[in-house]
Amino acid sequence: MTEPILQVDNCHVWFDIKGGLFTKKQTVKAVNGVSLQVRAGETFGLVGESGCGKSTLGRAIVKLYRPTSGTIRYKRQDITALKGEQAQEYRKHVQMIFQDPYASLDPRMTVSEIIREPMDIHDLYPRREREARVVELLQTVGLKPDHIRRYPHEFSGGQRQRIGIARTLALDPEFIVCDEPISALDVSIQAQVINLLEDIQKKLGISYLFIAHDLSMVKHISDHIGVMYLGHLVEIGPSRELYRHPLHPYTQGLLSAVPIPDPKRARERHRIVLDGEIPTPIDPKPCCPFATRCPKAMEKCFCAVPPSIQVDGRQVACFLYQEGGRAASEINIK
Amino acid sequence: MDKETITPVRLPDPLPANAFDALPDEERNTEFIAMESRTYFQNVWANFRRNKLALTSLCFIVLMCVLAIAVPILSPYTYDGMDVQALNQLPSWKHIFGTDKFGRDIFVRVMYGARISLSVGFAAAGINLVIGVIYGGIAGYVGGKTDMVMMRVVDMLYSIPSLLYIILIMLVFGSNMFSVLLGICVSSWVGMARLVRTQVMSLREQEFSLAAEVMGASRTRILFKHLIVNSIGPIIVSLTLMVPSAIFQESFLGFVGIGISAPMSSWGTLANEARMVLNSYPIQIVWPVLSICLTMLALNFLGDGLGEALDPKKR
Repeated sequence: MTEPILQVDNCHVWFDIKGGLFTKKQTVKAVNGVSLQVRAGETFGLVGESGCGKSTLGRAIVKLYRPTSGTIRYKRQDITALKGEQAQEYRKHVQMIFQDPYASLDPRMTVSEIIREPMDIHDLYPRREREARVVELLQTVGLKPDHIRRYPHEFSGGQRQRIGIARTLALDPEFIVCDEPISALDVSIQAQVINLLEDIQKKLGISYLFIAHDLSMVKHISDHIGVMYLGHLVEIGPSRELYRHPLHPYTQGLLSAVPIPDPKRARERHRIVLDGEIPTPIDPKPCCPFATRCPKAMEKCFCAVPPSIQVDGRQVACFLYQEGGRAASEINIK
Repeated sequence: MDKETITPVRLPDPLPANAFDALPDEERNTEFIAMESRTYFQNVWANFRRNKLALTSLCFIVLMCVLAIAVPILSPYTYDGMDVQALNQLPSWKHIFGTDKFGRDIFVRVMYGARISLSVGFAAAGINLVIGVIYGGIAGYVGGKTDMVMMRVVDMLYSIPSLLYIILIMLVFGSNMFSVLLGICVSSWVGMARLVRTQVMSLREQEFSLAAEVMGASRTRILFKHLIVNSIGPIIVSLTLMVPSAIFQESFLGFVGIGISAPMSSWGTLANEARMVLNSYPIQIVWPVLSICLTMLALNFLGDGLGEALDPKKR
């Protein structure tokens, strides 16, 4: 097994909400003890409902947020404490693709200025070659060189997302955090962008952390998948395994909600409908985050946070599988 | 509908066999953008030109500036040259705006006043722009305690009645253009700072500024290259409103008698002088007041037009 390029250990990202005159200070525990590993050249998919902390984790990895505790190691180096020049060096290696292609490009800059900006900041390439490099990047993402003088608002959503990707690639990163890069796009365009990301990965050997809530897309692109719920990673596993035999009750519920493009099969399927709302991440109780909605919740689920354990080569944080409990296959829903 | 104007598309007859085949990849052009590509300033100018009112206003202000510079130089009269033979004359070919109670040519005096009023207006706007943008930008971008302290200072400045310290400044520095400018600027940059602060605060949460941060852009770069550039529209609009308000304030000071001292003239002092002979020669007050009104109107229209033209999303 190869050494992981990115290793997140027991990462917490908490935000304080300032207390007013009459209200107590509260803490939003957006990411609460997440550990994961991404190997070089692979894609790690991160799925979960909105507000479960997946974007926060992604932003902590690119140093937009500072973790409250825990470490994020990139090539064995803890990046949470990096400052100044070392931080700049890290930024060259780890970049991010943003969710909203309408908001992530500066509306007052031309395409050429947008793609050139990272090179200007890090003073990569001689000044004269930067223009040529911009053209090259545009071609990589399937845009025409004559688009160079245009403004972002003249492009469609898919085209803009590709401009964003070109900007990300300008620094030759080795690791890209894709923060829901396709959720703001039409379905037909989503496939285009996904294919582009896959091509780039094949060509340049970049690793991705792919954050999304579209399960079928994540399955398609990822080698490993992590399922997040309320700041916790409840299950991690190789993507095919995880889709075939989801272990955690939340993963099971999530997968049973994926639409199947075949009405016959869809009718036969047993759907698990999760009751209730996702609880608030403000000052959560010290119990299994999923306990309130879990169809298989036991007494101890309300008393302690289940630790992550190895089951069938996967990691699950659920008491159902604790201490040789039941075999994974018994609990599975067919 | 007029039938003759519709020309139906003539399909070749018979249709070629491949008419419904998919185009080969080389002929497909899904990335085509029909709109011609223009540089930013071409774009701004094209937008601006379409707004006739703003264009006229620009011409008026340029004309006013040219006249303000040229007339006192070229005219046979000077702004303080008295002529006892021709007191309080009505407009004529010799004195096109007439003369005042000392026989001074009002046209030359109004144009000389334009020099002072316009330069006070533009200078005040320029000073406000620099101070307000930097101050508001820093307060909005850094946020937190820094923002709190900076904005409380602003509130304090805002709460002191401006006439109070203008009079004090006049006492200390004498009644000249510098002290008028200083008096106007002490309080009026506050509005600009507040505007820029709110703009920057909302823009800094946008993804493009996060993207710049991930790229490794320094805070100064993000603030000046992204946040302030993107709030340029409201800044320009408020700037063009600041010019007339400074002109107005200067005129007001002149009118109440604490502005530029005689025999120099600004539009305000001219109106004040004309007020004294208002009953006998009402025509004399028309010229400075008309100049103030037209200039203010023109600047307002210009501001609106510029604000719209500077937005690259509008074509």
